[in-house]
Amino acid sequence: MEAFFSIANTDLLVAMVRLSTPITLAAIGAVICERSGIVNIAMEGIMIVGAFFAAVGALYTGNPWIGLLMGVVAGGIFSLIHAVATVSFHLNHVVSGAVLNILAMGVTRYFMVLFFGHPGTTDPIPNTLGQLKWAIPGLSKIPVIGRMFFDQTPIVYFSFILVIFFAWFMKKTKLGLHIRAAGEHPLALETIGVSVKKMRYLGVFISGLTSGMGGAYLAIENSASFTEGMTNGRGFIALAANISGGWNPIGAFIASLFFGFADALQVRFQVGKVFDIPAEIFIIFPYVATIIAVAGLVRRSRPPKEVGVDFMIEQESD
Amino acid sequence: MDIKKLKPVFFIVSILMAVIGTSLYMGSYFSGLLFILAGVLLFMAYKWLDSGTTALVELIKAGAQALMVPVFGIAIAIVLGALVMLASGYDPVESYRALFYGAFIRNWHVSVLNAAPLMFTGLSVALAFHAGLFNIGAEGQYYIGAMAATFLGLNLNLPPFLSLILIFVVAGMLASAWNIVPAILKVRTGAHEVITTMMLAHTARYLSPIFIRAHGGDPNTSDHAYVTDQLPEANWLPRFKTFLPEANYRLHVGILIGIVMALLVYYLLYHTRIGFEIRAVGQNKDAARAQGISIGKSIMMALLLAGFLAGLAGVNQVVGLDHKLYENLSAGYGWNGISVALLASSHPIGVIFTALLWGALDAGGQYMARVTDTSNSIVEIIKGIILFLVVAKYIYAYLGNRIRRYRRRKQEAAEGAA
Repeated sequence: MEAFFSIANTDLLVAMVRLSTPITLAAIGAVICERSGIVNIAMEGIMIVGAFFAAVGALYTGNPWIGLLMGVVAGGIFSLIHAVATVSFHLNHVVSGAVLNILAMGVTRYFMVLFFGHPGTTDPIPNTLGQLKWAIPGLSKIPVIGRMFFDQTPIVYFSFILVIFFAWFMKKTKLGLHIRAAGEHPLALETIGVSVKKMRYLGVFISGLTSGMGGAYLAIENSASFTEGMTNGRGFIALAANISGGWNPIGAFIASLFFGFADALQVRFQVGKVFDIPAEIFIIFPYVATIIAVAGLVRRSRPPKEVGVDFMIEQESD
Repeated sequence: MDIKKLKPVFFIVSILMAVIGTSLYMGSYFSGLLFILAGVLLFMAYKWLDSGTTALVELIKAGAQALMVPVFGIAIAIVLGALVMLASGYDPVESYRALFYGAFIRNWHVSVLNAAPLMFTGLSVALAFHAGLFNIGAEGQYYIGAMAATFLGLNLNLPPFLSLILIFVVAGMLASAWNIVPAILKVRTGAHEVITTMMLAHTARYLSPIFIRAHGGDPNTSDHAYVTDQLPEANWLPRFKTFLPEANYRLHVGILIGIVMALLVYYLLYHTRIGFEIRAVGQNKDAARAQGISIGKSIMMALLLAGFLAGLAGVNQVVGLDHKLYENLSAGYGWNGISVALLASSHPIGVIFTALLWGALDAGGQYMARVTDTSNSIVEIIKGIILFLVVAKYIYAYLGNRIRRYRRRKQEAAEGAA
């Protein structure tokens, strides 16, 4: 029982929120992107690119905010390759995403050697966003909830804001409606004179920005350096969060919290050495949780109708 | 005497030549190329006798057409790679010279060693692609295959070839069992195999350290940390050196098994009922269902076979090259298998060549990094560019349309002026 309480406490819940943040950010992107009709399995790669450039920015300027900006922008630019390949060149979405993941590994490895002279891990970043703890006056004093949601670091707050913003944006704005229509019924959208192409580019680009931010979080807020492969499958877990969350931002956020919980539990078990079991057994937690979530919840929600389906309208005949 | 009667002779001799030539070439005997060429010529002669001149010309044309996009992609990637090198301050001419010399002449045996596991994982991904499935988690099945092979290799004490066969079959089946959960979930709930196999890949990766510690790995010692015990020599894959004395001592026959597997997968896909059903499901599920094909069965079949093939890559590394299991030292053969399959447009025979190309680029990159200042990570960039240019076939159609439209406009303008 003592062992149980050494793990199950408020710290665990705080860690859950912290560890779910990168997944939440990428999952929001996945929601928008899939709603616009494009499958994006490249988020893993986009995150790693975002993480790398965030680390570079933070290291070279000494200012983590510039690092964050660089990470987000790099993620956005990198995602545009996916947009060009799938929307303009009609490449299979999954194939393009896989190629981008491979390309991301290559690009970060190459720049790693170019900037730092060796592959692997960068030098430690002196100033990180993890050092900035913004306790919201009043709210942070609420027991448990206060520490979980109102006594966190900057990007964690951004992820909350983005969840709420995009939930509103997708439901209430015209642009959000158009993005959804691009994934549900592209032909109708084109008929009323809105370019499906543009909406799909926008969807992919937003997913690039948020995934880039998720990657930046890993490098300059959750830790203080960049390591190759540090995303560890989170891009794919985010994809699962999007699916289990029923293709909407709030649902994706809740699913991300669940995966964050599995991750937090894993860390606690590992660090706490509560049981005499190899640490790797616990590392597996989030991955198994993901499979269970995808297996159990996928039936209840319905994907956008035309997601992954190429849209090609009759162009100028040749 | 009628020359047509010699047909079967031509055929058999051409196959024989190809087999001898390939074996020699893979053992770094470059004269094997002559045998391969002779085999190709004889095969063309057989084809000519069999179905006449037009059919032969068609065959050559189709072959050239299939090669055009990859060759074009590679050429452009080399140029772009040179630009990247220039931009980062490396000498492209010197680097490329080292890269190609290392990849295809000096360290050809390393290229072959690299290519063998890629061939298996590439075939795995390619086979799943034919069913419209993406076996992105080949890396996990690779680990399971490697672990199973290590376990069996350490414990089996049978006559040499019997134990090898047993290792290949049982380890392959265990790796294929690793894909059962994604397969069932795909069939029952439609859970996307990209997510499930990917998650299982990470799971398998983290299981390997536990396995290694249970089989001789001891992190507390410096010389035996993160490595299992060595397999007894009786369970090693035969090496080229036993029949080709000049071959490199590390070179093992895994590559030949890989090539045979590619031929088998080709046969399975294009000449058996199961293969036909797998391809039908991949092309059009509704049409396949209308024909009475069981979608679920085909999906199960494809994913399990894909797991089996990816597992063989791990077996090949353990019993062929390393003879023990290292932690985190798989060099990403599972991930690279995806590139190999995509580059070959999922054609099993194409996988043989793309695996060799990828293996050669890696080997050349290592050699280049040793003899020049250029970092071998440039190879990753070149690989990425090649992949994108080959995969994005629509670019060529698009450019072709653009050029045609431009020409027509110009012509119309000229007519209008006249």
